[in-house]
Amino acid sequence: MIRATISASVLATLLAGAAMSAQTYRALRTASGQPDLNGFWQALNTANWDLEAHEAAAGPVLQLGAAYAVPPGAGVVVDGPIPYKPDALAMKRKYAANALREDAEVKCYLPGVPRVMYMPYPVQIVQSTDTIVMMSEFASAVRTIYINGTARPPADTWMGWSNGKWDGETLVIDSRGFMSGTVGALDEEGAVHVRFLDRAGNYHTDGLHVVERIRRTGPDHLQYEATIEDPNVYTRPWTIRMPLYRRVEANMQLGDFKCEEFVGDLVYGKYQKK
Amino acid sequence: MRNLLVAALLAAFALSVGAQGQKSTYKVPRTPDGQPDFQGYWTNLTYTPYERPKELANKPFYTEKEAIEAFNKAVAESENQVVHYVNTDFGATPVQTGAKPNLRTSLVIDPSDGRIPPMTPEAQKREAARTAAQRAGGPLARTWRDDRGTVWCVFHERAVPAVTAPYGSNYQIVQSKNYIVMIYEWNSERRVMSLDQPHGAVPLYAGDSRGRWEGDTLVVDTTNFNPKRTFMGSPGTPPAVSVTPTFHLTERFTRTADDTIVHSYTVDDPMTWTRPWTVEMPLHSIKGPMLEYACNENNVDAFTTLRNARLQEAGKLAPPDRTRNVEDPKATVLEREEKK
Repeated sequence: MIRATISASVLATLLAGAAMSAQTYRALRTASGQPDLNGFWQALNTANWDLEAHEAAAGPVLQLGAAYAVPPGAGVVVDGPIPYKPDALAMKRKYAANALREDAEVKCYLPGVPRVMYMPYPVQIVQSTDTIVMMSEFASAVRTIYINGTARPPADTWMGWSNGKWDGETLVIDSRGFMSGTVGALDEEGAVHVRFLDRAGNYHTDGLHVVERIRRTGPDHLQYEATIEDPNVYTRPWTIRMPLYRRVEANMQLGDFKCEEFVGDLVYGKYQKK
Repeated sequence: MRNLLVAALLAAFALSVGAQGQKSTYKVPRTPDGQPDFQGYWTNLTYTPYERPKELANKPFYTEKEAIEAFNKAVAESENQVVHYVNTDFGATPVQTGAKPNLRTSLVIDPSDGRIPPMTPEAQKREAARTAAQRAGGPLARTWRDDRGTVWCVFHERAVPAVTAPYGSNYQIVQSKNYIVMIYEWNSERRVMSLDQPHGAVPLYAGDSRGRWEGDTLVVDTTNFNPKRTFMGSPGTPPAVSVTPTFHLTERFTRTADDTIVHSYTVDDPMTWTRPWTVEMPLHSIKGPMLEYACNENNVDAFTTLRNARLQEAGKLAPPDRTRNVEDPKATVLEREEKK
């Protein structure tokens, strides 16, 4: 754990340096004069495995061997370790040990924010003046960002409610109204009790409030930063930061990853006719 | 309340009639990129039947008076539907969302009798075999794949090509310079139309859509549908048919008023029908926002359907009694059970 802390702080320093040099970049503008974030973007890191620094490890399914083992990562938490309350840290360890049952990714449930932004699937941003749509390949997840929106979330949802505003070159998105897990789940096979931020069991509840800051640092890069607050789980807000890379292929488009196709037999298996 | 509603609809209807059929002087708003602006929230909910009733075979258009009468009759009938809950309590009837009267007597406008052309003999055999294979499994759902009416969340097949739905047929349209995105409320289906790329190589459930502007009309060419899906099979449409590799959809979207986009589409699949055919479904503006559908997340319907099917097979649960308390057609299932 000490080593993880040092790595994270070294990384934070490095990232801060990168951010300084990128601060001079002025993004191209859309026709309405906003910094242009349109494109296909993807994280190239192991944040979806574990937001914190981690060594490589065997995967959760013996038969898959090296193919689905955990790749190592320096971590993306800027001010780590993640400041869990003591009882929440104990819960995190419990959830981590039961990740195949508790991780919504396994069940193809909507991944929420910020996780949707750093899963290993492209995110397409389609930017209009008042509305920005962010679409992940994973589970066909969609986020709508209401620019200069002030509405409170009308209901709790899996992807939350996002109001955005432009702060110079930076798009600042404020998101609330997240589901904690499944409500009134009929069956434990369908239940997730909290929402995982990664496959390592880092989690949040419906107390989640996320403030993202996204700016274009070059033709093919975004800097992505998210400050994560949840008084049910953490002692203070904490921040992750990473670059997102543009998928430059000329034939790039979102494919279907409608993963319910791949998990129906897993989730409903015990009620299906053999 | 009903009178107020009808009065409001009459006012709106005057606009709707003016928008259809005749050359419009409407000036379409522009996006900052200079393209016709279709952005906002829209619905294609309607009471107009998909295919024309046979008794109206030679009458493609109602008079204004007839259209309003047909609309009010359909609204009244939909309020009397027996469902698991009271549709109107959930704002779930088309009229509550923004459906408007239509001068057309059917959504199918070509062939001229308003009916879908016959299937080819090969397609009839293919579809008969597919249906027979489904029925052979018996009435109870065996796996989560079996009941696409309620438990199937992979893709909402009414979204593309657009097919009449009882509720939830709402769209959000967002435009950038090179893309048009249509997000469909039911199942939060999304459809991304590139304006400047060639067609892609991999099949998609919603098909691979490419748009282009012809004057102020958006023309969308869609091919490469995922052959695992079907088309139609919704209440009010003919039974579901397979979507084959030759299925080709050509759509036209024209904004004819602030509150109307006329959407028409031509279906051409020589592996299924003897000739192409065309549908016109106006989109009417509605108030947003749309909320997340989250169909697959804790799909209680799927668990209940499958669990009860297994219990029925084991003789531990009686099949539902669909005959009880039929004397009160307005009662919900819940109310009838309470009375019992």
